[in-house]
Amino acid sequence: MSSDNSESTLSDYGIYKISEKHEFTLPDIEIKIERIGEHVFSYIRKDAEDNILKKIIPITSSDLTIELCPIRPLNYPAHRTNHVYLDFESPIFLSKDSAATVFVRCPIEVGIFLVHDGHKDSLDWFTCDPLNSRFCLYGTPESGTLCKYMNSEIVESYDDSIPFQNAVLKIDIKNELSRGVTVSKIVFPITGNSIYYKNSKAIVDSLTATFKKKLTLEIIDVDSIMIQTDWIKSPTYEQSESIKHMDMGVD
Amino acid sequence: MAFEFLQSLADIEITGGLTLLSLFIGGIIMGVGIIIARTIRLLFTKYYAPKLPQDTAKNFGKLIYFGIIILSFLVFTSTTGVDFSGLLVAGGIFGVIIGFATQSVVSNLISGIFLMIEKPVKQGDKIEIPGSDVTGTLLDISTFSVRVRRFDGTIIRVPNESFFTSNIRSLSSTPVRRSEAIVGIAYKEDIDGAISVIEKQIRKSMAFVLTLPKPEFRISALADSSVNIEILVWHPRDDWDQVGPTLLKVAKNALDGAGIEIPFPQRVIWQAKE
Repeated sequence: MSSDNSESTLSDYGIYKISEKHEFTLPDIEIKIERIGEHVFSYIRKDAEDNILKKIIPITSSDLTIELCPIRPLNYPAHRTNHVYLDFESPIFLSKDSAATVFVRCPIEVGIFLVHDGHKDSLDWFTCDPLNSRFCLYGTPESGTLCKYMNSEIVESYDDSIPFQNAVLKIDIKNELSRGVTVSKIVFPITGNSIYYKNSKAIVDSLTATFKKKLTLEIIDVDSIMIQTDWIKSPTYEQSESIKHMDMGVD
Repeated sequence: MAFEFLQSLADIEITGGLTLLSLFIGGIIMGVGIIIARTIRLLFTKYYAPKLPQDTAKNFGKLIYFGIIILSFLVFTSTTGVDFSGLLVAGGIFGVIIGFATQSVVSNLISGIFLMIEKPVKQGDKIEIPGSDVTGTLLDISTFSVRVRRFDGTIIRVPNESFFTSNIRSLSSTPVRRSEAIVGIAYKEDIDGAISVIEKQIRKSMAFVLTLPKPEFRISALADSSVNIEILVWHPRDDWDQVGPTLLKVAKNALDGAGIEIPFPQRVIWQAKE
């Protein structure tokens, strides 16, 4: 995709080559990228509360190439965990020795990557659904796992994601126990799952969840499975808070 | 020439069998010992310390350094052939005097060793010593004292003995923490309505408050002028500063927005019939 038209509005994920100016309008977010010098662009993001983020991007080529894509929902409000807790709106009941495949909504964030010389560097990231981007605790306060929380709806297919707010995740659930089970939530580290996009829809690598008995314990085994798809794979970005020792005061 | 020089040093006796030559050799042994100790500590710090926890690495470094120096001193004393028994007797008496005088120093040293063994907290933990003004990040546990960087940026030194015998509250040993605040509403107001508006405002404006466990609301007192509601919210352990100091502000804004009165202290006076 390329654009010189200042009036153009974003409706899709993808790679954009910007020569002069481009404006993206996402849910509650406005992004404006424009040339301010021969080899310099400015990047301005404004959210619903009128918070403004501005960055200057010096480039070596004549055009600016960026990729707008879904990323894992681990950065907002801060990167504190790699786990996601999907709380199903409607719990699923599986009778003994049965299996089911469900599609559920999974949260995402949006990433903007600067594409140059075959590299994709994270320029910015944000969430279009800040009110639903919250943490929760799975387990006890003493030894539980901090997770990103989402009240997740069960949907029909991969096409049912809400643009820029969530993706669809397929879960194959199998019950190998000798009794029926009710599944009301699933907790998993999302760092093992890639995200793919097509137009404004997004999907996540699928999961398999198997209820089984190990000796006397009943356990649930959750694994990530890479999906085969023609959708475009998103680059990944997770904010890291490494301590920097600055000798020259550059941050 | 050199041999004659050394011979002349060997002839000069300082005291009880200790010659200038043996003192010279001892000096060389100690010098070499210090160089070896520093080199080994440097190699340890460079290659092995990064794989160990920070405080363990630091203690091991000290152990290696002083261990080699003590070993060098023992080699020095055994090569000189000096009889230290007189010195030991004198040292014994002197030791008792010094022992009384340095009781607190020894106590701090022993406490430091126990702190290193027990490890109630580790370097980088956020801690609080209840009943004192020590709250902050633990910088290190050294031989005689513990250093804590308080949240105002200053560093406070706590003697090991006092730290070891205190109650220590660790603020970063669990994944989440709870913050509390109390807000009062007028007696005429609907309690459930007030709780509902506070809950909605917390959910809307406090990104670090956990969805599960849910914020909890308790009526903490039917006080003189108000019904006091205690708000309890959980948040990631490192984000107290995003929640604790703003919880009351959020609650007040929510109540103000909904027109719910936060009463001033008031007293009803009944005039007796004449």
